[in-house]
Amino acid sequence: MYLNDIKTILIDVLSLGDAGLSLDANSALLGSITELDSMAVVNLMTALEEHFGITIDDDEISASTFETLGSLDAFVQQKLA
Amino acid sequence: MNERAPAAAAQPFFLPATAGQRFCLYYAPAGAGCRGAVLYVHPFADEMNKSRRMAALQARALAALGYAVLQVDLYGCGDSSGEFVDARWDIWKDDLARASAWLDSKVDAPLILWGLRLGALLALDYARDAARKPARMLLWQPVHGGAACLTQFLRLLSANAMLAEAGKAAPEKTGGTAALKASLLDGQSLEVAGYELASELAAAIEQLDAAGMAPQGCQVHWLEAVAAAERPLSPAVERQAAHWRAQGTALQLERVVCPPFWTTQEITVSDALLGATTTIFAA
Repeated sequence: MYLNDIKTILIDVLSLGDAGLSLDANSALLGSITELDSMAVVNLMTALEEHFGITIDDDEISASTFETLGSLDAFVQQKLA
Repeated sequence: MNERAPAAAAQPFFLPATAGQRFCLYYAPAGAGCRGAVLYVHPFADEMNKSRRMAALQARALAALGYAVLQVDLYGCGDSSGEFVDARWDIWKDDLARASAWLDSKVDAPLILWGLRLGALLALDYARDAARKPARMLLWQPVHGGAACLTQFLRLLSANAMLAEAGKAAPEKTGGTAALKASLLDGQSLEVAGYELASELAAAIEQLDAAGMAPQGCQVHWLEAVAAAERPLSPAVERQAAHWRAQGTALQLERVVCPPFWTTQEITVSDALLGATTTIFAA
């Protein structure tokens, strides 16, 4: 539902440029996008918090949250539900 | 602008200060006279490195407009004396006092404090009891609360732990940011992304709140980055601005479409932010 917003944030945070435009819900993130290191995960969390006006606790997320663009979208949907 | 000669290259020097010296870069004002003495306050940890280019570009642009600009690496940062673990909030404020005094001896012009992110919060805190008050303040994406800033920084550790657990069948739960912060505030120093943060500095940052730092007696220019032209300012920013105005702060708050160059993976430059800032100071 928020896939496009999240995709835009991901492209911005990771400086993916046009290479990021082909991402879809099934695109693997952690382990597949080399730019996604710990610093990038933190920046991504902050950007999601600021964009959606949510607060993310460490307990709520794990590596699986960042598995695919779809899993990240599901997490945001659940936060906003 | 055209009547002024091009700005000279920055002059590097070391400023004597508490426990050693501070690396400084001085941009002399172009042309005759000086419109203002600008002191730049850099952001925290790696954000300082990420924003070095933007700071240099803006400093040069301000010098070309006829402003004197001084950039100082705070204690334990950049090329200044001390290790990061030795850095303390009060030493940083003292660094600013010395840098401000140096500017005062160099040019006869009103002081302008320019801070980015946590550097903006440091500038605000410093301005409250500075011997020499600023006439203007330029805040780029100021951090409002020290506690949230610290949490964000500590997240680097929990994110690292999370990435290390990736792929394991039954990941163990790490302490999380709250537990890390508790041990840090309890007296333990903590290494985060190559920066060893002292308990004393963390404790000082934790209790900072821009709400109680409404600048008085100076014009404040606050430039806030948004991702796209149609994006509004965040409610937190609106709240902070309203609070300051209610306390009598002369505030100009402007929205600029600008990437978060202080954190982006690659060194990023925002012409929009440079342009907006230059327009304000050219007037």
